[in-house]
Amino acid sequence: GPQAPTLGELMRWYCLNTNTHGCRRIVVSRGRLRRLLWIALTLSAVALILWQCAELVLGYYSASVAVTVRFQSLRFPAVTICNTNPYKYSVIKEYLSELDKETRIALESLYGFSEGKPKVRRDAEDRNVTEYQYLEKVPLLRFEDLIRKEATDLHSGHKRKIESNVFHKGSTNTGDPQNMIGFQLCDPNNSSDCAVYTFSSGVNAIQEWYKLHYMNIMAQIPLERKVNMGYSADDLLLTCFFDGLSCDTRNFTPFYHPLHGNCYTFNSGENGTILSTSTGGSEYGLQVVLYIEEVDYNPFLVTSTGAKIIIHDQNEYPFIEDIGTEIETATATSIGMHFTQSRKLSEPYSDCTETGADINVENLYNKTYSLQICLHSCFQKAMVDHCGCAQYAQPLPAGAEYCNYKKHPSWMYCYYKLHEKFVKEQLDCQQKCKEACSFKEWALTTSIAQWPSTASEDWMLRVLSWDKGQKINKMLKKTDLANLMVFYKDLNKRFISENPANNIVILLSNFGGQLGLWMSCSVVCVIEIVEVFFIDSLSIIMRRRWQKTKKWWNSRKAKQSQLPAQGTGPGKQGHDNPVCIDEDLPTFNTALHLPLPQENHLPRTPPPNYSTLRLDTAFTEQLPDTLETESR
Amino acid sequence: MDQDLTREEEEEKEEGLIEFYDSYRDMFEFFCKNTTIHGTIRLVCSDSNKMKTAFWTLLFLASFGMLYWQFALLFSQYWTYPVVTTMSMHSEPKMFPAITLCNLNPYRFARVSENLAELDFLAMETIASLYGSSAAANIFHGEEKIIKVKDLARKEPGNFGPSDFQLNRNIPLVRKYIIDPVSKKNISMVGFRLCNATGENCFDKTYSSGVDAILEWYKFHYMNIMSQLPVIINITVHEDQIEDLVYSCQYDGEPCKNSDYDHFHHPVYGSCYTFNKDGTNPFWKATKPGVAYGLSLILKAEQKDHIALLSTVAGVKVMIHNYNQTPFLEHEGFDIRPGIATTIGIQQDEVHRLGGNYGKCTVNGDDVNVKLLYKSSYTLQACVHSCFQNIMIQHCGCGYYYYPLPPDAEYCNYNKHPAWGHCFYQLYNRLADHHLSCFNKCPKPCSESWYKISAGSAKWPSPNSEDWIRRALSQQKGYNSTSNRKDIAKVTIFYHQLNYQSVNESPLLTLNLLLSSMGSQWSLWFGSSVLSVVEMLEFLLDTIVFSLIFGYKWSRSKKTLKMAQSPVISSVSLTLENYRTVPEGPGTESSSAQTFPNAGTIVASKNNDLPLHSVSNKIHTPELYPEVVLNGFRYIKDHCVDVDP
Repeated sequence: GPQAPTLGELMRWYCLNTNTHGCRRIVVSRGRLRRLLWIALTLSAVALILWQCAELVLGYYSASVAVTVRFQSLRFPAVTICNTNPYKYSVIKEYLSELDKETRIALESLYGFSEGKPKVRRDAEDRNVTEYQYLEKVPLLRFEDLIRKEATDLHSGHKRKIESNVFHKGSTNTGDPQNMIGFQLCDPNNSSDCAVYTFSSGVNAIQEWYKLHYMNIMAQIPLERKVNMGYSADDLLLTCFFDGLSCDTRNFTPFYHPLHGNCYTFNSGENGTILSTSTGGSEYGLQVVLYIEEVDYNPFLVTSTGAKIIIHDQNEYPFIEDIGTEIETATATSIGMHFTQSRKLSEPYSDCTETGADINVENLYNKTYSLQICLHSCFQKAMVDHCGCAQYAQPLPAGAEYCNYKKHPSWMYCYYKLHEKFVKEQLDCQQKCKEACSFKEWALTTSIAQWPSTASEDWMLRVLSWDKGQKINKMLKKTDLANLMVFYKDLNKRFISENPANNIVILLSNFGGQLGLWMSCSVVCVIEIVEVFFIDSLSIIMRRRWQKTKKWWNSRKAKQSQLPAQGTGPGKQGHDNPVCIDEDLPTFNTALHLPLPQENHLPRTPPPNYSTLRLDTAFTEQLPDTLETESR
Repeated sequence: MDQDLTREEEEEKEEGLIEFYDSYRDMFEFFCKNTTIHGTIRLVCSDSNKMKTAFWTLLFLASFGMLYWQFALLFSQYWTYPVVTTMSMHSEPKMFPAITLCNLNPYRFARVSENLAELDFLAMETIASLYGSSAAANIFHGEEKIIKVKDLARKEPGNFGPSDFQLNRNIPLVRKYIIDPVSKKNISMVGFRLCNATGENCFDKTYSSGVDAILEWYKFHYMNIMSQLPVIINITVHEDQIEDLVYSCQYDGEPCKNSDYDHFHHPVYGSCYTFNKDGTNPFWKATKPGVAYGLSLILKAEQKDHIALLSTVAGVKVMIHNYNQTPFLEHEGFDIRPGIATTIGIQQDEVHRLGGNYGKCTVNGDDVNVKLLYKSSYTLQACVHSCFQNIMIQHCGCGYYYYPLPPDAEYCNYNKHPAWGHCFYQLYNRLADHHLSCFNKCPKPCSESWYKISAGSAKWPSPNSEDWIRRALSQQKGYNSTSNRKDIAKVTIFYHQLNYQSVNESPLLTLNLLLSSMGSQWSLWFGSSVLSVVEMLEFLLDTIVFSLIFGYKWSRSKKTLKMAQSPVISSVSLTLENYRTVPEGPGTESSSAQTFPNAGTIVASKNNDLPLHSVSNKIHTPELYPEVVLNGFRYIKDHCVDVDP
């Protein structure tokens, strides 16, 4: 094989001796047509193998999903409950009185709004005050004509032209400009660069405007004070039952949420034990009666009455403002849960992260990684970098402080601009953050019933009032109460996990199948092919190249030496003698400048089939030995 | 044929295009020696030993049987087209779904308002006769209602002339007493009776509850009256506007565009508005999950204008659906309570079916044998409705009012089609019992997605904020403030999670895997491949051709009575046999026979004065050394015999 002098010989040798099918037929077949057919067949088999194996490789990194349903006692999730209203209005009023006053004035000028006598009196007092802190800062505007950019300042009544270069957030083709109310935020350094916010309804405009100022005010109040102003656990929770046993406020861990004030997490696992239920059904879940003090609500900040709850894992951060579920007062809300746990395969099957450690965003939440945490952290980071202060609704990064316009007068404009960028994915947050590989999900089914029933209302309210009686002397109203039941519908845990659809064993056996099917080839054959087609044939080609160049070189040399020889007469040396010209490599004879024997052409003992045959001509003594070993 | 062969013989200096074997034996031996099917060589080479031959034959046949049994199993599995269902989670950014809102307040068009008033009056009379006059008086504020209707009629521009519709008073609601077969008690049933044209075959529509009976009875009459109007009316030309239903609309913190909705009128659900109908506007891109990034609406939920007997529900009907789909509010819509803020978290689920051989489904509905009457993308519901409507037109001669009409058909109306009610209810029952072929005709769509909904609610507005909210709303068009908290509602629809679950079908056994396992089987039992099978085929073909030639020659020679000479069939390229023996020849004698050609080549190659190919060719060409070739050939045969005993 490798000794074959030419490529054709090598191929012939390969075809006769290979283990792959088809090749042999090319050589042994009789007739050109047959041979051509066999060549075509063999080549198409090779093509098919390559194609099919490529498909196998492409399909290798696919994942299949197994769904297992297990019956077991399930860990009860953490349940975080917040009053929709963050702080008792009666307590926080001292901070907000100025803002509320100005909101009322704005409402009055907008809608001719007045609220009974006491407020009228206060309004009369306010008329003396000429300085409006908040309305001055961010004026509420009524847009008369958006195309001509004219608006009326609501508090001063002056018409003002909206400055040029308006960066308009709302839509431009809105039908009725008469109804558009909004505000504009300007870059303090460059008053022509403004963002105008319009709202289709005054309700939204005022709430949004109020919230803006509210956040500024809250950012200046120390955390401790804020916690004190919120609802205590005893305020919020009237009764508590879990798994048929009574529980109390000690089972709830306080959790301060920037927007929702004091929230309480049941079964947070902070004291080391995580409760679990042994039976499904509403009897064995969490049952609480919440006290929602309707009268103590902030009228502008929150417009709906009730509580917000979220069901989450103990290690997850409760994003109550994003995905919390609201529950209603004067009703019994029963929430049935169905637990699903999913696991994805990470690289190379999909682009997800196991722990979040490989993501270039600092986790500000001190909880397990989730996409939501990453996005919020990323935005907060960008906010600190761009605006110099942190947004109120999210945790503080190290060394930063919350924005308030006493210290950071331009932060609002900066924030809105940044948020715009975030939504348009210009902050790279969406690219940096990957989803988590495993997540837990509680699918909720909510049903609502009227509670307490008219028949039971009387005694129930009496009892509950008595329970709470130490603090409140009046009877509770049913619109101040909400009944919440959270329970597992059944104890089936659905576990969805991705598994690699293929492992290396299956891949190899499929490879083997394909190779075997088309050509009955194996790994040995593949090695054989590599050996013959790459190593051997390359060596043959190289050898022939070498021969040719050497031939050419020698002939050129001969010509060159001939020409001067003709001029000066025949040379004396055997090397220059044309008789002695040998196109072989320098052999023993040529090296010693010995004339080659004349009987060179005559047949003699057959030389061995080495590839290095030509070099061996100098060592003819060894030939018989090698020949014998070869033939044996 | 003979001439061909002789011509080939002449051309034998070069290798012929088609060359043939000398005899059957030659051919068979060639096959056995050169085939790659394991076992055959043994079968041939052991022909001196009958025991061995029998053994190898048995073994060969057994493994052959095993192979094809396994193949049968494989193929039968493949042809049942098994699928595996895989589930995957995706989290690509996507669009917000389409949202349809309806105010549950059907508009009373001038053309039908007189008839509707008449129907209301008839209903009142009927209820009075069934349940006493006080009940009816409480249900309707009769007088007032009719006046209001007349007002409306006068206001309406007269593009619809007064109709000649006659309310059919011969379908009364009656109370019946049936003896229950189980408890032997008298049960009172309320219902009405519909008969076919001849009056022979009658159909009783009875209900145990009067409420259901009255609603159904009213609906039946209502359809007849409304049949004078087209079913889905584009009422932008009429006076309803979105401001009458939606006070405030915000998506992702920005106000909705006033023009970005589609408006139609539904006979039961009233004015309906669809947001994000096409799913192409980038405004509706969903960026983040959470309440703040969803669609927030403040809605009017007044109930005083409702047609009392058409729907007893108060509030607003909302449906979350895919773009370009007709919202079937009666099937999938849900209600928003007045005076309540409802937050609806949605999550998307997708199903992709393989279709084709793997199951029946349709990609876009083009291949479905039902003419779709809805101008939207294919859904199962739309197909079943269209199918039913077509059957209805065939059987009853007119179309059901709540479904769209095909061209040149008309809606049912008992003035024109007196027996349609009987026909319709019978057909409808058959549809419900799956006796109509509609469910077979309508396959599921190949990819479907729907939205899982979880809702929470809170009282809205809160007592503290109610005052200013009302004031703020009062400035807006269409709001007339009443002290009733329950005439407004708030809805927030948001993505609970942007990840969505997608359930995909994928074939369990792809062609790729089938071939792989076929190859494995083949290799396992025979060590052979597809090429070996082709070898077998070639052998069979050769046998047939050879027999034909032989038969032809035999018959010819019989005719000419020249049996002395055997048929002249060339045998060429046998030199290759030498090469086959090179690695295989363990026998001592072989060395001398082998080395000659090899030696020849080496000499030739060493001798560089001669062109390499010509020399080697000379040595290879068999016709120059026919004896050597034959020796070699014979020798192999001998060698086989030698080795085997």
